[in-house]
Amino acid sequence: MTDSPLRRSLGWYRLPILVVALVTSLLFYVPFLVVVATSWTETSYIIFPPDGFSLQSYSGVLNDWEWMDAFKVSLRVAGLGTVISVALGTLGALALTRLRSRTARSWVRTLFIVPMAIPPVAYAVGLYSVSLRAEALQDNLALLVLGEALLAVPYVFVMVSSGLSQADPALRPVASTLGAAWPMVIWRVDLPMIVGHMLAGAVFAFAVIFDEVVLSVFLTPIGVKTLPLQMLTASQEELSPQLTAASTLVSMLAVALLGGYSLFSNRRAARARRLSRKAATA
Amino acid sequence: MTMEQALAAPATTRRRRPMADGAAAERRWLLWPPLVFFLLTVAGPVVALVQQALSGEGNAFAESLRMEVFVDSVWRTLLLAAVVTVATVVVGTCYAFAIAVGPVWVKALLMGGLLISLWTSVMVRTIGWMLLELPTGALFWVLELLHLRSEPIDFYQSTAAMYPAMIAVMLPFAVLPVLASVIGFDREQLKAATVFGAGPLLTLGAVVLPAIRQAMISGGVLVFVMSLGFYVTPLLLGGPANMTMSGIINGQLNTANRADVGAAMSLLLVGGTVAIYLVADRLFKVSERWG
Repeated sequence: MTDSPLRRSLGWYRLPILVVALVTSLLFYVPFLVVVATSWTETSYIIFPPDGFSLQSYSGVLNDWEWMDAFKVSLRVAGLGTVISVALGTLGALALTRLRSRTARSWVRTLFIVPMAIPPVAYAVGLYSVSLRAEALQDNLALLVLGEALLAVPYVFVMVSSGLSQADPALRPVASTLGAAWPMVIWRVDLPMIVGHMLAGAVFAFAVIFDEVVLSVFLTPIGVKTLPLQMLTASQEELSPQLTAASTLVSMLAVALLGGYSLFSNRRAARARRLSRKAATA
Repeated sequence: MTMEQALAAPATTRRRRPMADGAAAERRWLLWPPLVFFLLTVAGPVVALVQQALSGEGNAFAESLRMEVFVDSVWRTLLLAAVVTVATVVVGTCYAFAIAVGPVWVKALLMGGLLISLWTSVMVRTIGWMLLELPTGALFWVLELLHLRSEPIDFYQSTAAMYPAMIAVMLPFAVLPVLASVIGFDREQLKAATVFGAGPLLTLGAVVLPAIRQAMISGGVLVFVMSLGFYVTPLLLGGPANMTMSGIINGQLNTANRADVGAAMSLLLVGGTVAIYLVADRLFKVSERWG
């Protein structure tokens, strides 16, 4: 895909733009590469450039119950939170397509995006003071899961909404004219069209919740840590290569899963395009 | 009654009514679960915060507004958010343009950087910046290699150390909307501008910028609002001299042991941030851009 009109109209200004962008991309690459590099040092403390090459801090992390427990807690919190936020975000996006009045639509849209603007520390303090008043919410992860789900709803809502806006608006009236009740219309018309976007939203929500650290600072019971919280604690103590090894491992896992997912969805999209081309020519 | 009437009459009456009822029921079932969830997860904490703020002897709101550290942190946080917003929007726009017009290898490199930053956690990226900026960290190693400096750098936990990291953390939120609109806007207008002899500067000002302005604003608003809640990155990289509002709130709860003041500050922060977002949303239609 060459974008020659844009390229031509930018003219000689293209060069400084490219230089700025390439220098900026260093802000993304360099810190990450430093994390990866320091994890294979043979020393028991962090040093750059790394001294020798060994995987001892990796086996250290994988055999350390503290790190593995934190990983499992994070998986559980992110899994539950994702389910809740996908359900609510999808309902909201579906409701948006069924509202007629413009003001109602714009308020619903704002309502589902505004959790992005909530400052996590202040929100965590609020949830913490809720837990002080309700015994049942102490010593478990319920409030953490609910809070994280709220923060992740906007991402799902944005993804599913963009899916619904690409869908053919004529299909729904057709289905209801043919006598389908509204639950049937959602089940057979809307959901099949947005399943891919729900999945994308779920992946995004999972990543957001898995990474979020501030809520877990305030809301995890004593002795329980999520992975980012364990990282935060470890980064405030003496820096050990185990910290960077754990960071590298979890990043590699994310890159593998998300990279695999986007390859898969690109291929699906390409197949859908091929099929629709074939249908158009047939 | 003729055959046609018998067929048509019940059909029309039957279809109209249930559809209207069905639409109302549909909206109810679609909207109520999220609304109830929002009410519980937002109103619950807000009520608890108000109660807690009023639990102390004095007026915790007035007290927090009298505290110099807090007022300082408010200005510092606003300044920080403003600087980060301007920087990310300007640099992010260049980044998006470079992805659109660059050669294939540039495109791949830039997309790769963006994806790394989206897919790795803020914690990991902040740790990377820490290791880069420590007195004998990676930056010092490079400078020493180039014979530019021989004594350890006194850079870590300073204002200057904090900004690049925060810009890097927030940049994807500014790049993504601009990228979508740069890729999406009408190329015919560009061709027309070229045909009529407009140079790059005129085309940029008259065609390109108006087309992507909305996206730049939505990205900027989001970055600004999210920067107001910044906690981890300034904490680890800016040190105690650069406490944001979030850092002060945490201090009130965990060190000063003033839960009422901490709650009052939290309410001020949440209220201020959400109010700024709502005003920006009405002015610039930010949510419409996203949803």
